[in-house]
Amino acid sequence: MVRAAQQGDMAAFEELVARHRDKIYARAYSMMRNEEEAIDLSQEAWVKGWQRLSQFQGDSSFGTWMTRIVINLCLDQLRKQKRHRTESMEELNEESGGVERQMPAVIINPAAGIERAELRQRIDRALGQLSYEHRTVLVLHEFEELEYKQIAKVMECSIGTVMSRLFYARRKMAVLLTDLKKEDLR
Amino acid sequence: MSNQEEQLKLQAYLDGELSESESREVENRLAREPDAAALLAELRQTGEALAGFEEGIQLPESREFYWSKIQRQISAPEPLREATPSPAPLIQRLRRLFVPLAGLALVTVAVLVSIPSAPQENIGVETSLADSGAMVYHDYSAGATFVWLSYPADKEAVDNDEMDPFE
Repeated sequence: MVRAAQQGDMAAFEELVARHRDKIYARAYSMMRNEEEAIDLSQEAWVKGWQRLSQFQGDSSFGTWMTRIVINLCLDQLRKQKRHRTESMEELNEESGGVERQMPAVIINPAAGIERAELRQRIDRALGQLSYEHRTVLVLHEFEELEYKQIAKVMECSIGTVMSRLFYARRKMAVLLTDLKKEDLR
Repeated sequence: MSNQEEQLKLQAYLDGELSESESREVENRLAREPDAAALLAELRQTGEALAGFEEGIQLPESREFYWSKIQRQISAPEPLREATPSPAPLIQRLRRLFVPLAGLALVTVAVLVSIPSAPQENIGVETSLADSGAMVYHDYSAGATFVWLSYPADKEAVDNDEMDPFE
């Protein structure tokens, strides 16, 4: 199918889009937290994918290759958005771990009490409460399964920054998923 | 367990980012410190909770509608670069300057030549400078001199037409 698309077969490419579209959209959505933007960026990724098909050598799966394209587009978009807003004190605090670093560990048991659908909704909301830097590190590590140094390269930061952002993001997610508030833990 | 360095090392242990010796060091600490073990459990559970999250996300558009926009963009012609011509090379700019100057010089020469020799011959003489597109016509019987200047010079106009406007 990929080979046919590489030879200019538009129908084959359309089939590839149909097969992978949910995955590409889901990655864009995880990063952007906005349905419309995720749709637009995922479509832009497919257009770029078509234009660069000749560069696909098959070193990774086609889905992985496409995912990397959409991640790069999302990162570009998030950086643009970041330039248009000022950094809040909370975000500056997040960089070093903030309050979450000092909190006692909480217990998250996804199987207990809540349905998978409800857990998904909570994750959805919790991801939305992270800054884009923390969310991206979490997405790249947990969903894309990248190593620290790969994330550092993609995000153009140090490995130390990746580690502290990931730690903060995980702790904040833990708190949000257990419905605990900072006040309860102090 | 509030030491940030230790916390990050614990996380790196979970993520398989430590060397063997560093991993053993963390394992020893985990055996000694319940706080460290609890934090490790929390970090692990968070990862487990996130697993499969993206699998549940579905594109909220039909296959046809979603594809139609992609197809439109793929099929659209490459956007044309703005048709602003690049600055002409120095030699061309000098040539453009040369043309009016050459014309002016020809006029001057023609006038100087025609005044003293006016009664000598009763014929018209044409001279031309092909490259500049200038032409001089003397009519001694009438005592008149005409100079035609074309700008840009014919040859130069042809040269410019050959240039790619999108380059």
